[in-house]
Amino acid sequence: MPVFHVPLIAIIDDDEAVRLATESLVRSLGLGATVFESAEAFLGSAEREETVCVITDVQMPGMSGIDLQARLRTEGDMLPLIFITAFPEDRIRTQARAAGAVGFLAKPFAGEDMIRCIDDALQATGHARP
Amino acid sequence: MPGSSRVLFHKPAQPRSRWVGQVLAVGLCLAIFLIDTLSPLDMAIAVLYGVVVLIASSWFRSTGLIVVGGGCVMLAVASFLVIHAQDYNLASVMRCVVSIAAITVTTLLCLRNEDATASLRDQAALLDLSHDAIFVRDPAGAVVYWNVGAERLYGWTREEALGQPADALLRSVLPAPLGEILRLLHATGQWEGEVIHTTRAGRKVTCISRWSLQRDDRGRTLGIMETNHDITERKRAENDLHRAQADLAHVTRVSTLGELTASIAHEVNQPLAAVVTNGEACLRWMRRPVPDLDEAEKSVTRMITNARRASEVIARLRALVRREEPARLPVDVADLVEDSVALLERELASHGVALVLRLAPGLPAIRGDRVQLQQVLINLALNAIQAMDAVPPEARTLTIRTGASPAPEGGGGIAIEVEDSGPGAEPDTLPSLFTPFVSTKKDGLGIGLSISRSIVEAHGGAIQAAPGSIGGLRLTVTLPAAGETPPHRVKEITS
Repeated sequence: MPVFHVPLIAIIDDDEAVRLATESLVRSLGLGATVFESAEAFLGSAEREETVCVITDVQMPGMSGIDLQARLRTEGDMLPLIFITAFPEDRIRTQARAAGAVGFLAKPFAGEDMIRCIDDALQATGHARP
Repeated sequence: MPGSSRVLFHKPAQPRSRWVGQVLAVGLCLAIFLIDTLSPLDMAIAVLYGVVVLIASSWFRSTGLIVVGGGCVMLAVASFLVIHAQDYNLASVMRCVVSIAAITVTTLLCLRNEDATASLRDQAALLDLSHDAIFVRDPAGAVVYWNVGAERLYGWTREEALGQPADALLRSVLPAPLGEILRLLHATGQWEGEVIHTTRAGRKVTCISRWSLQRDDRGRTLGIMETNHDITERKRAENDLHRAQADLAHVTRVSTLGELTASIAHEVNQPLAAVVTNGEACLRWMRRPVPDLDEAEKSVTRMITNARRASEVIARLRALVRREEPARLPVDVADLVEDSVALLERELASHGVALVLRLAPGLPAIRGDRVQLQQVLINLALNAIQAMDAVPPEARTLTIRTGASPAPEGGGGIAIEVEDSGPGAEPDTLPSLFTPFVSTKKDGLGIGLSISRSIVEAHGGAIQAAPGSIGGLRLTVTLPAAGETPPHRVKEITS
């Protein structure tokens, strides 16, 4: 992994306001960010290969965040995922954790918590914040 | 019947004074007889019997008058016979004949008058039989007739009411300025409206008041007859029903919101999450070794936008949960639909339903309660969304159309159609959709559509179910345009 390469984080949320806010937060940390309004859009994107971590909403029309995680795992992709949700149900939290989610945050989340999750994800994939 | 009103206003004789009058008439008769027979005056004293008949006409009915008249004639003849038994001459005979003629003519005239009076008295008695409060006021406004119904309803006796200024006595609250009512009354001869009167006991009574103008032969105004029908109880029952419906509407609205809790939490939480995250990001942009003010400014701008969005959602919710007397204000149809849909966005997304809005431009406003009408639309849309769970996601479309349409009771109006692409309903089950406590949903209470119908009908509108154009169900709400609302539908009375 070339050192000059800024780690790229994908943000998937059907709500534009949340998407843009999260993107700004990630960029303020000195990381790269790309935004997608659906899991399908992310899977079909060119940026998928460069992505080192995914921050995704759970409930979305079409493919949910949990579906995305399952899909990546069946493809053998161990990309770390951080879930953000407006409906923090224990059942989904357990399901996500079991499938190896790095974080499961309820909206609105604290910036510190998100940064810790991102750090964990970067560490797991051998990256670090600049 | 010109002139009749004058007679109607006469105070009818009371039973006791009538008896006294009758004795007086008989006494007078005897006095005249004695003077006529015993006095030496040689003149037509018997003509005075005519006066007795005239006086008696006030105290006797037809038969009594004939008896009095006949009696007077007999007494006059008797006097003549007593005085002139031996020495009758032509002059005295002529005097007697003139007296008899005078008594007879007077009696006949009185009989004719009694006949007319009797028929008028019968008519006045009929007015007393009426359950309505009927009174007549002269052109100056003073009461000149007051029936038994008015005594019963308002508490003042006829004697007390006569001569009083009607409107001051009853503290009348008229639905329009008096001048305007009088103008209409003089133009058409009658007027009808809802008035509020205050009784002697201080109780307010609401009456349907019918006014008619009484004129004499030359067209001069004699008075105004008011027939007042007490509708206080009916009004109260109507208001109670109205309130009960408003309560039920409120309860079902709150329970509808219960169904929408997840959506609402999301609607509020989402912008709040954006505010918090933008705030965190802003701090980080500013705390950089070289603060990035451009990015910080963008974050703050987004914070403001999102905070506004959250407060708009809350304002919409608060309006729905607030318990207020239903209002009757102009409502823009497009705004109504858009506000309702705004609360359903998440519901649409989570059920995978595509929304198609076809809002006709330039529709007239409708008059009504925005919150209740919004409740109807949310209810119809929610039913439609839930019904489409039974079909594959790609086939789920909710279409909301607005357009001009004749109002159910005539006049201009608008129609709002809510159509789904769900499984639809059997045509023969369509009418029962609006029956309370009949539900196709397993956890449904079955009052959503029935309360929707009462809300729409209270607005002078109608709601109908029909098979949709693409297989589902189409519910059409028609409402009269503002200004076309039939007056009797407007529940508030101006006071």
